[in-house]
Amino acid sequence: MSEKALKWTDRAVVVFAWSSAIILICALFLLIGSLLKNGWQTLGLDLIFGNAPPLDAILLKRRVFGGLFPAIAGTLLLVVLSVSLAVPIGVCAGVYMSEYASAGLRRILGLCFDILAGVPSIVVGLFGFSGAIILHRIFDGFRPCLAVSAASLAILVLPYLVRTTQTSMQGISPGLRITALALGASKMQNIVYVLLPRSMSGILSGIVLAIGRCAEDTAVIMLTGVVATAGVPGSLFGQYEALPFYIYYISSQYTDQAELMTGYGASIILLCVCLALFLIALGVRKGLSHQVFYRI
Amino acid sequence: MDNSIIKITDLHFSYNGLKVLKGVTHSFEKNTLTAITGPSGKGKSTFLTTLNRLWEDVPGAALQGCVELKIAEKWRDVYASSMDIAALRRMVGMVFQIPNPLPMSIFRNMAFPLKLAGVKEKDQVQAKVQEALERAFLWDEVKDRLHSSALELSGGQQQRLCIARALILEPMVLLFDEPTSSLDYQAAGMIEDLLVSLKESCTVLMVSHYLDQVSRIADSRLELADGKLLLSNISR
Repeated sequence: MSEKALKWTDRAVVVFAWSSAIILICALFLLIGSLLKNGWQTLGLDLIFGNAPPLDAILLKRRVFGGLFPAIAGTLLLVVLSVSLAVPIGVCAGVYMSEYASAGLRRILGLCFDILAGVPSIVVGLFGFSGAIILHRIFDGFRPCLAVSAASLAILVLPYLVRTTQTSMQGISPGLRITALALGASKMQNIVYVLLPRSMSGILSGIVLAIGRCAEDTAVIMLTGVVATAGVPGSLFGQYEALPFYIYYISSQYTDQAELMTGYGASIILLCVCLALFLIALGVRKGLSHQVFYRI
Repeated sequence: MDNSIIKITDLHFSYNGLKVLKGVTHSFEKNTLTAITGPSGKGKSTFLTTLNRLWEDVPGAALQGCVELKIAEKWRDVYASSMDIAALRRMVGMVFQIPNPLPMSIFRNMAFPLKLAGVKEKDQVQAKVQEALERAFLWDEVKDRLHSSALELSGGQQQRLCIARALILEPMVLLFDEPTSSLDYQAAGMIEDLLVSLKESCTVLMVSHYLDQVSRIADSRLELADGKLLLSNISR
């Protein structure tokens, strides 16, 4: 290739890279802008609490009708439950894949996790629904509920957690990997004191991804326990409301423009809920790496 | 009188079928500094890791032969199933080519091996940290910033910190894998002085590419060639 052609190729790559980044940022701003334009007028305590006094609603003294509070509470509970179920299993499986599995087993298990990551969420929802039917045959009165949705979502996000943990642990430099071993650390001490803290940022990426997926997925929860009006769930075995389902329900069943606008308002609230959960995840990560692992 | 501390007999080592060590037999004497030289990629670093079993985490590696360490005047097989690997690595410490402080404070880096060994008493930990840093000629430079990040130290200081961290466990043998190759002349000079001073308390084995450095500080030189260790002259 001539020098001139190389120069033009170089420029074309730079322009393409810049354009791609700008398109992505524009898409993000368009999305948020569109939501705000359509939904900001609906934002207010009425949208969340309806006619109920906010404090009474939060303390569960009064049930909220016509507000999003039960859906927000349902979404938060669902995300916390799903991630709490998935994180320990996913991180431990990732540690196993990175530190203990033989090369052959790592390949086979890796393929399994990749296949699981590619399974459509509606199929995972069907799996959860089938599980609920089996449990219904064993325990009379059991039906799709918050616990089934949380377990199904945990299965959905497990591959991300396993893979991000495995990748970030395997990415640690060989020098750092043997530092603690050379000082007399056991394999477990090396994992706990050096490898896991160093992988924390990668693991957190997996957790953030998992939180986002759990908060937004509608297909899984539609089959496993979410309903349009259930109030704040009283137990793990109760039905519940969730923001993504509310958004889906309103956008497909709305009767007037004002009702559709509340869907946009719910979308803004869903984004805020995700942002709050991400910030909590970041705080937990900072606390974990500095206070737990390195405390001597 | 036998003054040996390490005895190696017919040691073979291979990596993914490639023979790296081919029947190495040698004894190392107490309180000496032995330099191991030879071409790059011929197994000098690997040889060091056979003494503290650090190679065992490398997939595809295999070892045959006998490595013995004299502990409390008794010869112990390093590869015996009864050997506690963590205890072995505390007795046979290792410092690497590139300084590898952990991403924590200077004090925590120093206290880390003690924590691993189960030492919990704060006064004892503080006294040992100071003693090891003094032995590594680093105390005066860091005593006022023990709680700042070890990664903020210069390359030479980081390497002396790593040496101090290995010293805190009071090892019988210290293995150095090209400890000055990533440092400038001045920092390398300080490490050389430190290595010489360490002979008083432990046995030092050092891989080095610099024959002038070997002639300055080593008591003996072994050349690793064709998988065997050969005693070589030191030209002073």
